[in-house]
Amino acid sequence: MAVTVGSQTEELSWSRSELMAIELAAHLRDDDVAVMGTASALPQVACRLAQLTHAPDLWYIAGGTCSVNPRLGPVVSSCCDFDLLRADTAIPLSDVVLLEGRGDVLTVFFAGGLQIDAYGNCNLVAVGEYSHPSLRGPGTVGLPFLSRVGRVLIYTQSHNRRTFVEKVDFLSGPGFLGGPADWASAGLSGGGPALVVTPLCTMGFDPESLRMRLVSVHPGVEIDQVREATGFDLLIPDSFPVTAAPTSRQLSIVRDLDTDGLLKGP
Amino acid sequence: MSKCLSLPEAVERYVPDGVGLLSVGGMHLHNNPMALVREVIRQQRTIRRLLTSPCGALNADLLVGAGLVQEIATSYVGFEHLGLAPCFRRAAESGTIRILECDEAYITHGLYAGAGGLPFIALPAGLEASDVPKVNQESYAMTTDPFTGGPVLVGAPLRPDVALIHAYQADERGNAVVGGAHFVDRLMVQAAKTVVLQVEQVVSTQEIAAHPVGTTIPGFLVQAVVEVPGGCYPTASHGAYDFDEEQIKLYLSMAGNAEGIMEYLGQQVTGVTEDEYLEKASARLSELRYGDGLKSDARTGQRS
Repeated sequence: MAVTVGSQTEELSWSRSELMAIELAAHLRDDDVAVMGTASALPQVACRLAQLTHAPDLWYIAGGTCSVNPRLGPVVSSCCDFDLLRADTAIPLSDVVLLEGRGDVLTVFFAGGLQIDAYGNCNLVAVGEYSHPSLRGPGTVGLPFLSRVGRVLIYTQSHNRRTFVEKVDFLSGPGFLGGPADWASAGLSGGGPALVVTPLCTMGFDPESLRMRLVSVHPGVEIDQVREATGFDLLIPDSFPVTAAPTSRQLSIVRDLDTDGLLKGP
Repeated sequence: MSKCLSLPEAVERYVPDGVGLLSVGGMHLHNNPMALVREVIRQQRTIRRLLTSPCGALNADLLVGAGLVQEIATSYVGFEHLGLAPCFRRAAESGTIRILECDEAYITHGLYAGAGGLPFIALPAGLEASDVPKVNQESYAMTTDPFTGGPVLVGAPLRPDVALIHAYQADERGNAVVGGAHFVDRLMVQAAKTVVLQVEQVVSTQEIAAHPVGTTIPGFLVQAVVEVPGGCYPTASHGAYDFDEEQIKLYLSMAGNAEGIMEYLGQQVTGVTEDEYLEKASARLSELRYGDGLKSDARTGQRS
């Protein structure tokens, strides 16, 4: 899409996936150690972009191959790709599972789901009744570890009412569970979900109700579109900004990495 | 003594019909021991319970599609960016397969417990917050931590009767080099009672012994070695060739219904020998071959 930025005449074009990667990157810190799993081209780009801009000391692990700081260029679709082994190091998957359990090493976990609910719980297992699902998902892989990491960053390409539901049918990746009372009594060591980035908007969580709350809408998106695409009552502040448009530098870094154009889609 | 066998012999001898727990190595579309999987289907070996790595793909979906799997213990069967697993999905939604719902931590630690003879293994606090342990009480249980008196989630050991594993190279005694990422294949080898290795290439013991640290599978854990160059196709073999996305897409389109999967199996598995299948794939395989190869490639972490 193309948007005129402020009073500048420069017109930048980007895809929604590129914008999402850039938006996720902005929320990564220099002292983070981030981990991601299945189909994670988008967060991999976010991490590499952060390293090449504001967070040179961030570490990231592409789960699957468990490559540490893969170079990308090209960005690849599969988290287990041989090309990801162009990296600082690659550790065994069992080591990453150990460190996910340790809980105080990994600060960021990227997550997603077939369903994501108002409290940031994710479901990759089954829609409908578990024993007779209307849609059987692939399975939860490492999402139960969401209970133990510092910040959970959720991303999805699907912002619609099937994905964003009031309550997940199956809890495969814990968010704020059933809300404040439930969350407090569970006593989980992780910080819970921190951010949700979709093709339409960026959302966070209200610190008191722990329900999902709008942070910003992406350029060219109307708030009614977001409201209609969300299957629960999304908290919407009286005023909210438009998500910062990608800069030409950010886009140029992303495209240097994404030589095969995986994020170029709509 | 040489452990090299032909593909049909290896399955005939080491994969009994009705095998109790069969595990298949590889993760997502990488290092799936497809030649062994196809041979299991040709010989119509039924599987009481199938175990995948944290992410099963074609290795599991094809066995499910062939109707050989009664139960599956898995934390994921799918095709990553290419979509859901059609046969697994159909079997789950129609209730024709029993699923032992697992997560990555349990599969990994459960194999470790199986390998080490641990009666069970305690899992990190917080994993009990997901619904996974609630729907799989055969693998998970809550008990009391004897040291703190608090509740603790534990998992049963995973001890495959037979593991089907792909490696890049092995000598005839089963000492093997894994090309690229290990996934949890070494744990499967360590935990399984019987290991059948599928390799791109059998090399001399002298060549293997030149790199003892990079040879991460010791032959004493391996019962059979089957040399099948291209045997992971259409999935990738790290160090050798990439996966064939077009072929996977063809599978996904055909396997989307019960008739289609039967047609696929007839064309690509039961109606052809492995040699015929790989001969047909040879042009694609050479296109998919990694240019830089294993030995010269620092990416593998296996070779200097």
